[in-house]
Amino acid sequence: MYWLRRLWSELRNEVFVLPSRMLVLAWALGLLALPAVYADPYVMRILTLTCLYAIFAASWDLLAGYSGQVNFGHALFFGAGGYASSMLSLKLGVSPWLTIWVGAAVATLLGLGVGYICLRLRGAYLSLATLAFPLIAVGLLLAFPGFSGGELGMFGVSRLTNNLIGNYYIAVIAMLVLVFGMWLIADSKFGLVLHAIRDDELAARASGINTPRYKLTVFAIAAFAAGVAGALLAHYLRIAAPFLLETALSFQVVIWGIFGGVATIYGPVAAVFVLFPLIEWFGGFQGFGERRLLFFAVIVLLVLLFMPRGLVPWVRDKVETLCPRCKQRNPGWRAVCRLCEAPLSATDRPRSTAPRKA
Amino acid sequence: MLQDIIITGLISGGVYALLAIGFSLIFGVARIVNIAHTAFYMLASYGFYTLLVKVGLNFVFAGVLAVAGVTALSLLCYKLIIEPLREHESAVLIATIALALVIQELMLFGFGGHFLGIPSTLDGAFSVGGVSVAYQRVVIMGVAAAMLIATWTMLYRTRLGLAIRATANDLEVASLMGMNVHRIALATVAFSVLLAAIAGVVVAPVYVVDPFMWLGPLVTMLAIVVLGGLGSVKGSLIGAFIIGFVEAITVFALPAGAFLKGAVALSIMVLVLFVRPEGLYGVAFEEEER
Amino acid sequence: MFRSFLVAAALAAVVPSAMAQGTIKIAILGPMAFVQGENHWAGATMAMETINKAGGISVGGKKMMVELIRADSNEMTSVPDAASAVERVITRDKVDFLIGGFRSEAVLAMQEVAMDNKKLFLGAGAAHDELGMRVERDYNRYKYWFRITPTKNTDLGRTVFAVLNSVAGEIRTRLKKETPKVAILAEKAAWTEGLTAAAQKNLPAMKMEVVGVWNPSAVATDVTAELSAIERAGADIVFTILSGPVGIVTGRQMGERNMKAVAFGINVEAQKDEFWGATAGKANFVSTLDTYSEVEITPKTVAWVRAFKERFKKSPTYNAATYDAVMILKEAIETANSINSDDLVPVLEKISFVGNAAVLEFDKRHDPVYGLGKSLGIAVQWQDGKKVAFWPPQVKGMQPFRMPGD
Repeated sequence: MYWLRRLWSELRNEVFVLPSRMLVLAWALGLLALPAVYADPYVMRILTLTCLYAIFAASWDLLAGYSGQVNFGHALFFGAGGYASSMLSLKLGVSPWLTIWVGAAVATLLGLGVGYICLRLRGAYLSLATLAFPLIAVGLLLAFPGFSGGELGMFGVSRLTNNLIGNYYIAVIAMLVLVFGMWLIADSKFGLVLHAIRDDELAARASGINTPRYKLTVFAIAAFAAGVAGALLAHYLRIAAPFLLETALSFQVVIWGIFGGVATIYGPVAAVFVLFPLIEWFGGFQGFGERRLLFFAVIVLLVLLFMPRGLVPWVRDKVETLCPRCKQRNPGWRAVCRLCEAPLSATDRPRSTAPRKA
Repeated sequence: MLQDIIITGLISGGVYALLAIGFSLIFGVARIVNIAHTAFYMLASYGFYTLLVKVGLNFVFAGVLAVAGVTALSLLCYKLIIEPLREHESAVLIATIALALVIQELMLFGFGGHFLGIPSTLDGAFSVGGVSVAYQRVVIMGVAAAMLIATWTMLYRTRLGLAIRATANDLEVASLMGMNVHRIALATVAFSVLLAAIAGVVVAPVYVVDPFMWLGPLVTMLAIVVLGGLGSVKGSLIGAFIIGFVEAITVFALPAGAFLKGAVALSIMVLVLFVRPEGLYGVAFEEEER
Repeated sequence: MFRSFLVAAALAAVVPSAMAQGTIKIAILGPMAFVQGENHWAGATMAMETINKAGGISVGGKKMMVELIRADSNEMTSVPDAASAVERVITRDKVDFLIGGFRSEAVLAMQEVAMDNKKLFLGAGAAHDELGMRVERDYNRYKYWFRITPTKNTDLGRTVFAVLNSVAGEIRTRLKKETPKVAILAEKAAWTEGLTAAAQKNLPAMKMEVVGVWNPSAVATDVTAELSAIERAGADIVFTILSGPVGIVTGRQMGERNMKAVAFGINVEAQKDEFWGATAGKANFVSTLDTYSEVEITPKTVAWVRAFKERFKKSPTYNAATYDAVMILKEAIETANSINSDDLVPVLEKISFVGNAAVLEFDKRHDPVYGLGKSLGIAVQWQDGKKVAFWPPQVKGMQPFRMPGD
């Protein structure tokens, strides 16, 4: 009873006060309740994929948006998770429930490795160098076909469950847990340090922060989440092949991340939930479906011209205002701050929270 | 075998240099990571194909028109898409990715997923030290060399070149010195795309033209630019020949591993970065910090 | 964000559900922006028109029309999209049967979804053995899969060696060389590995000498390096195992270098009409396995190939076997008197169907039975801008094989 009351007060004080948080709650509950209302296999499949890509996009944002290490080869971790888990479960017959963690662990190790190499790199150098890693990995996979299955990869991998709704729930719950987890990390002191490193690494170091440790840790966390997503996708599709490591996928996640709004975690998630089903829906039109990538690119370009900081920051600024005195968020309709009662004038739109330099 | 390596390395190195120098200049002057750079190269190939094969113009005419058209188009794209976003670096980045995708999809839509071939400008081949070299490849080498010399002259012997180098060196100071950095950025974009378009036109008769032909050179070009040092013309030039030769050596020394040439080139890049994080001729980060 | 998806889903639910009663719905799945998808669609369209003009398919005493659903699988860029496309046509469009597919890794994923839904899926593009081996291993789950074309990789290899042997015979008689030298030029891909290994093993036994193996990338734009090395090795035959654009580059650069060696093998690009233009007319004497030509592989071949060219202004590629797929479905449906996939499986297992490029019968892996007079394939050579068939010699209408310098 106490916990219920506690929950209620948390909800009332922290969630219901802001429209964006209410939206997030409604979205999470909606996802969880959907199979009871509308268990259509196609919708389940698309949402399952959407959830997995959402984890992937959020993990990229944690790395790129918060710590400023704009990774152009994020698919490496996605693929590593998928490959490692599939290989183990296919060759040794271990249950996928266990191998997923191994996949994530392999991805984490790779994350530490790439992170270590990238410690000395900045800005565009880092981005372009990371682009190379998945390509080198594909080269290695193709060079040892006996081990990796070559171009076709690992196929016939077992699923976590053969139940459609079961798979949906696995993806949704994994997504909610990982994304919320990453959001908590990003919102903690740790996240604050990452902001500081991104904005001025020298200053952060001068303030006594062990910046390499933070940069490595965030690489590892992001790689872990991406690895879980990749492993789940491989088991869901029952195949892990070089498509998991494609440059196109690495670019895709950059687009999702920036389109949604960097350094927010929920921005890229929202971007995936908008773009992925939308593009799939385009793909369903006969004689028109094959143009889906064109629509995707044009939509991204047009939206950017109107919302250069990304979709979610733009929406958030429309519905909420930042209190000029205590820097707390307020619903857009309030005249005074909900906490410190300072007047909120329309001119005090929040200043850019996007990173100065990506 | 040595002769093979030298000739193959020189040709691919020359083409890579045309692409990499342009990309590096745009990055140096305007701080744009232009993913669409090789998409313009592809566009020039398609333009050349259309004018030559479909319209029936002669080689020189078709080539010049294709290069001019693509350069003009790139300026339009810059004005319409990149300039409004200039303040948001991350937005510029995905705008260039999206632009490249739009170009790819439009080519796929217009020409289909076919592989198109273009007749050689010059037919035939001759033999040097036992290696048969097609005249078309000599044309590529000649054009690449001419353009590289022209680039060098432009950068080091003209006022525009001075302005470009100054802006690349320090944007704020250049601006304070009364240079119109926007105009310089525009000129750099035009010049860079011009180089890429010329590369697209000269290689089109040798390579296969298809809507995905921009991806391979993109990755190689990025590797070269990082290897040589971002924003450094000298670095890009040397990096291009290093990668060109590494690829040629991989193919000749490891016949069954020819598919690995990309991975080997990228590994070399990573190795260089490990030793010199700013690339061969890049500016060390500490100096860049304010 | 979620609501926008619901709206999208609701719209998607409304749009395609305007289905007529009494039609048989067949989904044609393929990369529609590419040649493969174009041919998938073209072949199936022809079959649909033929059937509907003749009044449809008779099931249970009444005639049912055929309706095709064109579904872009986007498989060239995304394997997950390909699997989603299968789910979409089954749940949204409520199709009865699935035909198509091209990239093996995508088809492996598509097959899973089709089998989950117990829908008959007739493959018309992917050659990997595994697709059929699954039927043998786990019959109850995978029995709904049948491969119409091409023959599985192993059989493809058998054909290619048979033709190679006859090409080597030509060289022996013309150049008076007892053991012709063969250079293997295989693109780096899973499907070429088995063939490469088999060639290294079999060719010495067939009195040929393997002088080396070269593995360019499937999308390589330049094989000068490989070709110089091949020339240096003194090869008489370049045994190509290529499916990507590298096939064009190889044909073209061999011509530009005036190489004396003749190219034979699998060169998917050389199967297309556009090959001659794409190589700028340099690819004389390039030869490859193929599926269709105006020769009498079956009594239907010549007339059908002509009709196809008439209708679409180009020659069919092997993916146009979707025509046979639709037609074989018609025959099976009429025999079984049902459109239920479960009823059709036993009928298809026993069927013997005279198609356009093969007489289709299925083995226990649901692969087409291999052999002359069943599913075999043909070999073609580019001769002065025309693609002519030269193998198997038993088939009526074959032309002689020619070599550089003829």
